[in-house]
Amino acid sequence: MRFAAIIFALLLSAPTMAHQLKASVTTVLFNKRTNNIELMHRFYLHDTEHAVEHLFDGNADILSNKEDQKRFADYVESHIALQTLGGKPLELKDVGAQVDGKFFWVYQEVTIPEGIHGIRMSNGALRDLWPAQVNMVNIEGKGKVKTLTFSQDDTWLEARFESVNPE
Amino acid sequence: MKKAVLKLSALILPLAVSSAVMASSVEQTKGSFVDKFRQLDEALPTPNVYRSAAGEPAENYWQQQVNYDIDVKLDEKKRRLTASQTIEYKNNSPHTLKYLWLQLDQNIFKSDSIAEMTSTFNGKTLQGDPQPKSTKLSLGQLRRQQFMADNELGYQIANVKDEDGKELKVTVVDTLMRIDLNEPLKPGKDVEFSMDFAFNIVEEDAVGARSGYEHFEEDGNDIFLLAQWFPRLAAYTDYEAWTNKAFLGSGEFTLEFGDYDVEITVPADHIVSATGQLDNPSSVLTSTQRKRLEQAEDAKRPVFIVTEEEALENEKEGTNKTKTWHFKAENVRDFAWASSRKFMWDAKGYHQGGKDQPLVMAMSFYPKEGGDLWKKYSTESVVHTMEVYSRFSFDYPYPVAQSVNGPVGGMEYPMITFNGPRTDLQEDGTRTYSQAEKRFLIGVVIHEIGHIYFPMIVNSDERQWTWMDEGLNSFLDGVAGREWDHTIPWGVEPRDIVEYMKSENQVPVMTQSDSVLRLGPNAYTKPAAALNILREVILGRELFDFAFKEYAQRWKYKRPTPADFFRTMEEASGVDLDWFWRGWFYTTDHVDISLDKVYQLRLDTKNPDIDFNRLRDIEADKPMPLFVKRNKEEGKKLWVEENPDVTDFYDENDRFTVTNKERNAYNKFLKGLEPWERKTFERAIKEDKNYYVLEFSNLGGLVMPILLELTYEDGTKEEQYIPAEIWRRNHKHVQKLIVTEKGKNLVSVTVDPRWETADVDVENNNYPRRIIPSRIEVYKREKSKAKVSRDIMQDIKTELKKDDEKDAKEQQ
Repeated sequence: MRFAAIIFALLLSAPTMAHQLKASVTTVLFNKRTNNIELMHRFYLHDTEHAVEHLFDGNADILSNKEDQKRFADYVESHIALQTLGGKPLELKDVGAQVDGKFFWVYQEVTIPEGIHGIRMSNGALRDLWPAQVNMVNIEGKGKVKTLTFSQDDTWLEARFESVNPE
Repeated sequence: MKKAVLKLSALILPLAVSSAVMASSVEQTKGSFVDKFRQLDEALPTPNVYRSAAGEPAENYWQQQVNYDIDVKLDEKKRRLTASQTIEYKNNSPHTLKYLWLQLDQNIFKSDSIAEMTSTFNGKTLQGDPQPKSTKLSLGQLRRQQFMADNELGYQIANVKDEDGKELKVTVVDTLMRIDLNEPLKPGKDVEFSMDFAFNIVEEDAVGARSGYEHFEEDGNDIFLLAQWFPRLAAYTDYEAWTNKAFLGSGEFTLEFGDYDVEITVPADHIVSATGQLDNPSSVLTSTQRKRLEQAEDAKRPVFIVTEEEALENEKEGTNKTKTWHFKAENVRDFAWASSRKFMWDAKGYHQGGKDQPLVMAMSFYPKEGGDLWKKYSTESVVHTMEVYSRFSFDYPYPVAQSVNGPVGGMEYPMITFNGPRTDLQEDGTRTYSQAEKRFLIGVVIHEIGHIYFPMIVNSDERQWTWMDEGLNSFLDGVAGREWDHTIPWGVEPRDIVEYMKSENQVPVMTQSDSVLRLGPNAYTKPAAALNILREVILGRELFDFAFKEYAQRWKYKRPTPADFFRTMEEASGVDLDWFWRGWFYTTDHVDISLDKVYQLRLDTKNPDIDFNRLRDIEADKPMPLFVKRNKEEGKKLWVEENPDVTDFYDENDRFTVTNKERNAYNKFLKGLEPWERKTFERAIKEDKNYYVLEFSNLGGLVMPILLELTYEDGTKEEQYIPAEIWRRNHKHVQKLIVTEKGKNLVSVTVDPRWETADVDVENNNYPRRIIPSRIEVYKREKSKAKVSRDIMQDIKTELKKDDEKDAKEQQ
């Protein structure tokens, strides 16, 4: 009992920097114009910079080297998964990645499946590197915004949509 | 699992109850009116003789004073501190104290501390991947566990005695200790007592803390950062009495001001940086070092007191000898220090003028790992911070301002800050750093030095309200950062907080630190963005800066609460801001103003010779019915066309024909007008202005000013500002009449065109509606463009580079 408490205390007492980082924001947009579920993952550039040091050997440079940007985007994509409420996987297509201001963005998409009433999602990006990482996901375009917050040991979370327009 | 659920519901319940209680003053059981502009009467504490209704310290304001005299010795090999301290406690309160409470923050590392025991965990392992597998973190977790098991952590305290050497009874409660006084301490009296204490220093990288040591495998040396290292008096206040809330890790510190006399004994080859002024330079510094310090006072760029070469030489061998560094600090609320033989040291004088502290020495201490990044930017960032922050508050009042590199990412104490960014050693022996690391260093130094103002001098209660120091400081570090280089994104723009504001899992900014769900956006970004909006959009710079400075000066060396901030900002700016505080700090509402509709009104002239023609034009402008159109296409002739010989009066005069009957009525109408009515009417007819009605909805709940951009047919644009008070009678829907000159025809309207209000949905900000593409749509469009614009004729001439060659062009 005590053993578990001690190891995972790190989750709570990780250095509380007076500077906040280690947080990503993902928008999952049900885009009616394109009929796609669009995933837009936003990371602090500074987080990604430290992440690539751990993830890849050598002197990865995510700010300007397209190869390293691609490698990091691949890493993110391997840590994101989407399913229907019934657990059927939705295969996400890789759209691309870019640096914008102090953020690094990774994009994915998949066609909106017929008759979808909710989604299950897993977002483990950077959470295998440092426990303080919190990944917030806003699901938009399906009525009221739904938020999933991945922290600590969350693996799969789900959001159900209100049936505003029964189809 | 069950436990966690229980805990969560316990957390949510009181919040729900309190919001229901608050809602009762804002929302009634009758009707649907919500009083978003209700004054904060019920929410703020009643003004009293300690804190006035103006948000000022009132006539009987008091705070305790605590002076410390400490002798401490660092045992480098055992990584252990042993010390003795004498504390002088002055009771300025109107109350008699039978006991005193002290903070024992080192006890948070004990295995039975509340923080350790309540760290939650419900799973088997940290889940990074969708498919569970072993993760990289487990080694880090094991390292912590091993460190905690191998080292006895927390304070050992002995010999707690009063002035006469009589024992004092102590009771330790988690991270707090009660000392029962032998005599009750009456108002206005002081008491002196002493104690010995010791503890083993934690390894910062293993445990994760605000201080500790860092070991460098390559050269065998350590950097020691010492903070929360001595038993400190908990604050005793007029609003909460003893602030004896256990240290859980998030809520930082609430402390008393006092004078410090600290003697620090370290290995003789160490360099020490500490809160305070060095009192014995001649016994710890060489004459060369003292001379360099003097040169630094008037230098344009930082001067090395200990050069890199000297620090590298120092690293090579240790010593058994010791030296004692003596520091004195007046009127500070805490004391921290750093010590290492790895430190190089640079300094530059900042001549701020004024009578308080005309010369401040800005100094940095860092190992070779800090490299050029630190040599170029640390001390300069310290000076820049003081220049900007002093403009918003008061002259920097202490003799030194320091930035020290070590294992802590970023943390502040009076006169000294710990900052983490470093360079990377490359295979060719050089040290490089990325652009983001550079931004991070400048940003973190500004932020931490800024904290010396808030909360080290404007002494807000960090354990209760993180936003009071982090929010204010993030706002100001954004100002300082953008004055350093505005092309660097600093992150207090309203648009940065939009995603958080529309998300579901939130608590109001006004929530106790340890209960805040997401401390970063809640206590840093949201209040910083709110203040940015208050300054740039709502009050304007002149009013905001005046009021903010007033707040800083009123509470310099004193202890403000949120109510004091809210009241001062309102009272000094002369603008009612209760709606703003209520919306941004007491609720989780967000901004989403929708422009639903725009329609045009036209004034009837009443003159039938004008109005009837207009009506005829309107009729003629109507589209031709399909029946008529198709009959025409088929070549069908109308009866009247085929029988032109049969006509009468109505073939010459349509239903819009004006007769004298209407003209008489018009003249009668004119005659019936009062002189002022007639004047007004005639002028309006003559000017023939355009009247537009704009219909708005407030979908997010947060009331805000409406910023309009009006675009006219002639291509010109105009901006209009509608104060938030437009929502005071109806917080959901409002209409606004916009009048424009004749010929100024409106073609489109945009709400908040420059994204200044943190409006979460910009799609409904335009009328007529525009398609706002998603980021992915924009990205795809630009990407396809990018491909087309490639200059392949030129690019094809590019030579194939060798594997080990870095292509400079590609790196750009």
